[in-house]
Amino acid sequence: MKAKQIISYAILLLLVPAAIVLGFLIFGSGGFIYSILAVSVLVCAAFFLSFEKSSHKSGVILILAVMVALSVASRFIPYVNPMSALIIITAMYFGAQAGFITGAMSALVSNFFFSQGPWTPFQMFAWGTIGFIAGLLCKPLKKSKILLALFGAFSGIVFSLFMDVLTVLWQDGYFNASRYLAVLYTALPFTALYAVTNTVFLLLLSRPIGNKLDRIKTKYGL
Amino acid sequence: MEILQIKDLSFTYPNTDSPAADGINMTVNQGEFILVCGASGCGKTTLLRLIKKELSPAGNLKGEILYNLDAKGFKETASAFDVGFVFQNPDSQIVTDSVWHELAFGLENMGIPSDTVRRRVGEMASYFGINEWYHSKTDSLSGGQKQILNLASVMVMDPKILILDEPTSQLDPITASEFIKTVYSLNREFGITVIIAEHRLEELFPLADRVAVMDGGNLIFYGSPEKACGALKDNPIFEGFPSAVKIFEGTKDLTELPEGYQCPLTVRDCKKYLNANFSHLSGKEVKVISPEPANPVIEAENLYFRYDKNLPDILRSMSISVCENEIMGILGGNGAGKTTALNVIAGAEMPYRGHVKIYGKKIKDFKNNSLYRNMLAYLPQDPQCIFVKNKVSEDFEAALAALNGKNQNIGSEIERISEELGISHLQNMHPYDLSGGELQKCAVAKLMLTDPKIMLLDEPTKGLDAVSKNKLISLLRKLRSKGMTFLIVTHDIEFAAGICDRCAMFFDGGIISQSAPNEFFSSNRFYTTSSHRACRDIFPNAILTDEVIGLCRGNV
Amino acid sequence: MSAYSKLHPLTCLVGYLCILIPAMFIKNPVIQLTSLLGSVLFLSVICDRKTIGSDLGFYIPLFVLMAVTNPLFSHNGATPLFFMNGNPVTLEAVIYGIFMSVMITSVLLWCKCYGIIINSDKIVYLFGKSLPKLSLLLSAALKFIPELKRRFRLTSSAQKTLGQYSTESYTDRIKRMCGVFSSVIGWSLENAVEKNNSMKARGYGMPGRSNYSIFKMTAADKTISVLYIACLSLTLAGAFTGKLYFSYYPTVSGIPDSPLALASYFSYFVCAMIPIIVESEEAIRWKYYRSKI
Repeated sequence: MKAKQIISYAILLLLVPAAIVLGFLIFGSGGFIYSILAVSVLVCAAFFLSFEKSSHKSGVILILAVMVALSVASRFIPYVNPMSALIIITAMYFGAQAGFITGAMSALVSNFFFSQGPWTPFQMFAWGTIGFIAGLLCKPLKKSKILLALFGAFSGIVFSLFMDVLTVLWQDGYFNASRYLAVLYTALPFTALYAVTNTVFLLLLSRPIGNKLDRIKTKYGL
Repeated sequence: MEILQIKDLSFTYPNTDSPAADGINMTVNQGEFILVCGASGCGKTTLLRLIKKELSPAGNLKGEILYNLDAKGFKETASAFDVGFVFQNPDSQIVTDSVWHELAFGLENMGIPSDTVRRRVGEMASYFGINEWYHSKTDSLSGGQKQILNLASVMVMDPKILILDEPTSQLDPITASEFIKTVYSLNREFGITVIIAEHRLEELFPLADRVAVMDGGNLIFYGSPEKACGALKDNPIFEGFPSAVKIFEGTKDLTELPEGYQCPLTVRDCKKYLNANFSHLSGKEVKVISPEPANPVIEAENLYFRYDKNLPDILRSMSISVCENEIMGILGGNGAGKTTALNVIAGAEMPYRGHVKIYGKKIKDFKNNSLYRNMLAYLPQDPQCIFVKNKVSEDFEAALAALNGKNQNIGSEIERISEELGISHLQNMHPYDLSGGELQKCAVAKLMLTDPKIMLLDEPTKGLDAVSKNKLISLLRKLRSKGMTFLIVTHDIEFAAGICDRCAMFFDGGIISQSAPNEFFSSNRFYTTSSHRACRDIFPNAILTDEVIGLCRGNV
Repeated sequence: MSAYSKLHPLTCLVGYLCILIPAMFIKNPVIQLTSLLGSVLFLSVICDRKTIGSDLGFYIPLFVLMAVTNPLFSHNGATPLFFMNGNPVTLEAVIYGIFMSVMITSVLLWCKCYGIIINSDKIVYLFGKSLPKLSLLLSAALKFIPELKRRFRLTSSAQKTLGQYSTESYTDRIKRMCGVFSSVIGWSLENAVEKNNSMKARGYGMPGRSNYSIFKMTAADKTISVLYIACLSLTLAGAFTGKLYFSYYPTVSGIPDSPLALASYFSYFVCAMIPIIVESEEAIRWKYYRSKI
């Protein structure tokens, strides 16, 4: 990774939480959701622009399109959701930026088939970030199955917690702790199932899909 | 005027010893229609890709390819827009999701402003009859429409040379001939230079100005199609030549033809030739030995099937019975439901009325996959579906392990079957690196591992060249001699006529006629082999070139 | 195809933002009710009866649920109605709950409507203007999805007739699914490389790529966009000057009715009604022409 890239990623990783905290301090919990929305939109825009500037070959764009299509199609499978697992695997083999793009675009495209809503930018941001972090951690994740399993479970739980925060913020207009607990409680089985399936899919699919991605990369020199 | 000049072209892929193209010299004139043919792996795709600079494979290239696109002299470069390329698979070359966007894609790459794009796209859409589905999603199109779209989205860039690499191999015969007519009219009406590689020579031979025949990376013939016929009589490629040519070459020594008599290329000319020279044999018939009735192993009665409650019936009261040790063919138009019928017979779909019996036992009474173990095997249209692993051998091992448990003679069983089908050297390959013919053989081998008594095949000749087709025919005959039964769904009339014991016509949701091939095809006027169309005035029931030649020679 | 969806994608996007920003940010009951009215009317025009029926079955219980749960979680407000488990259920919380559900339902309905109007073609266009690579990715992904589904079906059925995995055992079924899944990925990736060739063959990657679309900005598009922006500005002017402020806690305040507030209400009403006006204008025009023939 180039130094410039490292610096920009570091800034991004610091800036995003800082912006959210700042939003909280300035607007209080009433305007909190809007500061998260603004951050989501800006981060997505920043990644989209950097993707445009990048020197990806058209082959890489198409392979990311396949992975986006795949994770969208996988959202149709009832009960389980391999989408995060697929985003993480793509990120492990194509890097942090491609990981963010795959996550964000998967959220956007899949909502064409499910339903677009105010949650779309947040989902784009959340799934994009999962891909982004997986891309940063690609080397340890490829090495250790345990780490991969932990990352899968962790990303699943954090994703659910984040989306639940938004639900509460949006419904009440401020952070209502008792509602949050109620939401967490009702969502608990889903969160658990999500974390478990995420891990299982990662462990089952990372090797076979990874081999295929590697094969394509070497065979066609991408 | 020459538009393309290839001088001493040799090309070797990395990590291989033998060149894929070896010392090729050829020139192409402006407005010519060039047919490139040869068995799979002869180097024709490599040659076409070398001509199209953007697709040049990586490897060691010697020699020169020169373009003279603007009549101002030869140059080493040609822009992406001057040389158009249409690929084999209709689906995999479409990039975008909308028809209009696909048409505009090339022009966008050229950086052409919107107003001009609109005009040129509109013009192309009208010429190719795309305006009806201009706003459609590319996915909703049929295979033929997709290939027309691919052609149109190349033509919209106004190329000087149009290269097509087996463009009709994935299409059914009627769609394919429509496609070829479209290409031909582009050549005749607009003077576009066409270089087309194809296995389907029957229709293209008479249209071509020159034929380039390749074998093992060498250009072994380059000249007019009439001359090709005589020159290549002993080459295996001759198997794929049009029936008219084969009949002529097989019988011309019996006749006293004037000096310089041109070899007939079309059914019309062949008919003229036969009527002029062999009318004294008129009325001779092929002796057809009707097979003795055996016990039926596939029986389907009054099958009704639809995919969804609200969709129309695909199968309506379909009945069929296939006897033991028989090769039965189902023919019929595109989208008629032949594949669905095969799916139902294979137990992959359930009919909502009627039932299928295999060896007298209803499909639903075969419990826990016993139908697919030592009983019935099904080869789908895309043999890729059969393979899920990264190596052919891994797939074989997984299949055997699943069937027999951890059996110690897995290795020897695989070896035996691989040996039998001649695929031992492919064991360590990735399934997607195999050619169409090789992939299909491996798929048959994987099915053979289950030791089936019945095999169902869906379009087994799709994308195969004449040599591979003949190998498939002899393979199927060999397996039949060991007691197997086959049910084959195919578009390929010549193939069905050559291999089937009985043929059935599928139409309107059911089987409308069935009989032995000679009777079946000789009672059809249009849906029949080209040999029969050529000889029907003289030999009323001959359907194969060999039969016609045999009757002419009086040794049937 | 509805008349509104024939508008230029940019106009549709402007309309979407102009309706959604006030609906999400201004907590004024008049604005919220206007938004709900507009969204219900729009939905009833662009959807068929069956969809509307099934939608009502979803949104009405959701509406009730959100309205009822708010007083259970929020105990702010000065007017207790009764006590439950020792906690007050206040009038203000009930009213706030109702208005929050009005807001959420209307936003969901608008999103649903615009999900139908701004289809993937329009999204690809909106992206393509400034983000050509991403727009290509989007378009290619949309092309891949049905291909994937078809391949999945073919491979799945082929694997079934291979009989390697029993249909009764649950683990065998999962194994088969994973095998099929992985094979479909391999197939699709190979296919992507072929697509890449086809793109290169048509000169993709040359400098100076242009962007073509079938959409044309007409005079009507421009007029409607300007109208939208003007109305939004007026509404936001009301909001930023505090003239639309409405408080729910501790007591419910009166509905603001200053002249600027009234002007804001009116302009937002226009925003909310533009879709339905565009739809009915076309229907009326059509009838008029038919009557002349």
